[in-house]
Amino acid sequence: MIKKNYNTIECFLSDTSFTNWVKKNRLSDASFWEYWIDNNPKSKEMANDAKEIILGIQFKKTELDKEKVSSEWEKLEKKIKEKHFPVFKKATPTYSRFIGIAASILLLISLGAYVANKSFSKITHKTTYGEFLNLTLKDGSKVTLNSNSSISYYKNDSRKVWLSGEAFFEVDKKETTQSKFWVLTDDLTIEVFGTSFNVDTKHQKTDVFLEEGNIWLALKNGQETKMKPGDFISFSSKRNLILEQRSLANSSHKTSWKNGTIIFENLALSDAIKRIEDTYGLKAIFKDEESRNKIITGVVPITN
Amino acid sequence: MKNLSDHFVWKALKEGDLKAFSLLYKTYYSMLYNYGLKISKSPSLTEDTLQDFFLYIYEHKENLSDLETIAPYLYSSYRRHLLKTMKKKSRTIAIDEMEKTIIDVNFTPEELITHQENETFKNKNILNLLNNLPKRQKEALYLKYYSGLKTNDIAIVMNVNYQSVVNTIHKALKNLREEVAVHQLFNS
Repeated sequence: MIKKNYNTIECFLSDTSFTNWVKKNRLSDASFWEYWIDNNPKSKEMANDAKEIILGIQFKKTELDKEKVSSEWEKLEKKIKEKHFPVFKKATPTYSRFIGIAASILLLISLGAYVANKSFSKITHKTTYGEFLNLTLKDGSKVTLNSNSSISYYKNDSRKVWLSGEAFFEVDKKETTQSKFWVLTDDLTIEVFGTSFNVDTKHQKTDVFLEEGNIWLALKNGQETKMKPGDFISFSSKRNLILEQRSLANSSHKTSWKNGTIIFENLALSDAIKRIEDTYGLKAIFKDEESRNKIITGVVPITN
Repeated sequence: MKNLSDHFVWKALKEGDLKAFSLLYKTYYSMLYNYGLKISKSPSLTEDTLQDFFLYIYEHKENLSDLETIAPYLYSSYRRHLLKTMKKKSRTIAIDEMEKTIIDVNFTPEELITHQENETFKNKNILNLLNNLPKRQKEALYLKYYSGLKTNDIAIVMNVNYQSVVNTIHKALKNLREEVAVHQLFNS
């Protein structure tokens, strides 16, 4: 192993392998650096200084009480909100004051009208247990809604839908307008441009499986990620954690439900039962605990 | 990954996302509070200046420049804001002077881990020796080993260059080592 010259202390400090050796992270780095220092007596002092800087002094870090931080935040949030909707306190010349008031009334009216218009024209589709629904949205996109699920969107914008439960989307590509399609869940936002994918929000997390095309995910924790066909991701905003992220070779079991059957492939019985419970709204009881872990393969119809 | 999310949080804040701002606040409040308290020595002044500082950030969000890492920006801006407020209160000392004389980070026994990994500093009087170091050296040590900032970031916060930070930390540890040696000599 030949390394570059170490003439200054910074060379050591910026060297990952050196840091590894100091912190005893890797054995191979250790044998190298011990050998190196024995053979470079001139640099020994410098290396020791660098070692000392990396080790430094250890402190116990005290974090403030979480509740204290939260209450401080609430105070600030209140201040921000007050400033964004200011109350006129100072005496100002009559006409400019009048204009100010008139403008804010106008703003309130138009804001109110806007909100009212938006919220009153919200459309919701819902399914109960043991039922599933094929929908075609106004823009031509197809949605298959699994049992006990719902989607909603504003009448004037069917390319932005809120989902709870599970659904499979086949989004129509808008070549001319290049307009995007959004699916929003409690955990993340999916941004797509013509593609097909499955979204499942049961059990306080959101699973996304991409069958075709490309999509962007914006997780609630601020992270963004791009998915390729075959990718599967499971994210929980409550736990702020990516539970699972991988590429699936065989994916039929993720989307088979939209054709009316649930496919189980080498799945633990307890996981299979969970899917059946979700679909039919029933509760299963295991008579003997051992059968929980039994691996099964099979098919179950989705409707009663 | 940390930097990636920093980038997105900052971007969202610039677009006025209050949730992103809340995340930023809750992530950095504690660390900035500890730092502010070291400088001001007053819990109430630290709290007040932190609130003003965060409000200022939110109100000027459109004018903030793009950032890849947030920590150095917050530390340096808050430090400046706190010093300015303290200067207004004292009215007598020029701000440059203040930096040199007022920032006097002192460590408490609770903060020091007694079982140091660094063999040289396994000495029960290390706290005293540490607190007797020159002020600049103490602040650099604090930012590096307590706040966990990178050398580049410390340079931004303390408004000096990279080389100077390395030198300051190096000198601090060297002073400390020599003090420990003297101490051991007289007590053995």
